[in-house]
Amino acid sequence: MAEKVTVRLKVNGRDYEGTCEPRKLLSDFIRQDLGLTGTHVGCEHGVCGACTILLDGRTVRSCLLFAVQADGAEIMTVEGLAAPDGTLHPIQQAFWDKHGLQCGFCTPGFLMTVYEFVNQVQARNHQPSEEEIREALSGNLCRCTGYVNIVKAVQQACGIPVESPAH
Amino acid sequence: VPDLLLHQPHSLDEACATLARYDGEARAIAGGTALVLMLRQGLLAPPALVRLDTIPGLDAIAEVDGMLRLGALATLSAVAASPLVRARVPVLAAACALVGNVRVRNAATLGGNLCEADYASDPPGVLVALDARVSIHGPRGVRELPVAALVRDFYETALAPDELVTEVRVPLPAPTGVYLKYVTRSAEDRPCVGVTALVRRAAEGQLAEARVAVGAVAGRPLRLPAAEALARGAAPDEALFRAIGEAYAAAVEPVSDARGSAAYRRQMVAVFVRRALRAAAAGHQGAWRV
Repeated sequence: MAEKVTVRLKVNGRDYEGTCEPRKLLSDFIRQDLGLTGTHVGCEHGVCGACTILLDGRTVRSCLLFAVQADGAEIMTVEGLAAPDGTLHPIQQAFWDKHGLQCGFCTPGFLMTVYEFVNQVQARNHQPSEEEIREALSGNLCRCTGYVNIVKAVQQACGIPVESPAH
Repeated sequence: VPDLLLHQPHSLDEACATLARYDGEARAIAGGTALVLMLRQGLLAPPALVRLDTIPGLDAIAEVDGMLRLGALATLSAVAASPLVRARVPVLAAACALVGNVRVRNAATLGGNLCEADYASDPPGVLVALDARVSIHGPRGVRELPVAALVRDFYETALAPDELVTEVRVPLPAPTGVYLKYVTRSAEDRPCVGVTALVRRAAEGQLAEARVAVGAVAGRPLRLPAAEALARGAAPDEALFRAIGEAYAAAVEPVSDARGSAAYRRQMVAVFVRRALRAAAAGHQGAWRV
């Protein structure tokens, strides 16, 4: 077995250090070594987007990176969204309000993808079209919802008025 | 992922020497979007990986002496967003923005894209049309190759096992034009046919030069100098675009895959070469998924 390597990184503002084999994937390191199980592992081959995290501010698929590649990096996972008192992040609140999830398995990946997207459109002071939103979400798969309410949630998170779904 | 050693070199010489020690068995890893997939699917089982992202300075993007120089470790997102690339070679920035999805582009690198030599990809054909070259570092020194000569066939490059691509160089000013990414299914990220058409206009409204590269249909992007020469001094009209399109359709040796049969691809090559030339001649600049 290959010699273990030390990985030091900041996750959601907190410093972590762990040792692992070089072949350990970042998604497994986050879940197993750091105990942050909010990041989900779906397809395990870079298709479904459930394992999406922010690495130094940019979304990446943690199932296609080795943990050691994140050494020295700053990571944000879904656990970093809500306030310490449990108040939902506006993006999480939007998914709640618009029923942008059903089983919830894909949701952590969607939330991180949308987090980067909302930051980018807000930085440009831009109101994205539905097409741009759908393009931004491409690469995150949801097998429950049909995406309609997810798109509405993103619109709400972007400050675009949207009708509420029927109850 | 099978057990493996991970080397973390801090210089190109160290990286090449490490690769040389494994005599072709080890693999270099940049963004990992292709390589980690192959490891996970058991298509590759190298005893060791050599990280390239631990070597400083390989991701710079700059204009130097009439050349756009793109570090091999620049991510596709960085190329797509670079104000310099967008200003000087907009077709390249726009084409990189069409690859995969945002999470792929944030990790995948331009050098990795070329060295993987995946035929169903967008940047190689665009770079071939731009007459781009790569700078290659190895134990025997530094050499340069046209991208057209780097990519040899399906997943095959002209690199020796201990050589690394360090930079992609695009001569400036580049001719202007478009990249059309023809995708046969809405859920598909990869092109069935990818056509780059670039032109320079002569003063009298005729074409001084046209370049066409057809990607994603065969082991390597195709350019036909004889067909491109038809445009020299010619009026940019439909008859010309059609003739060049038909020349490419006749010359391609298309692959059949889930995105289209060989026969279908041949027809689509004629269509999209014609449309790309029409758009380039009309002054359009950019890349579109069609």
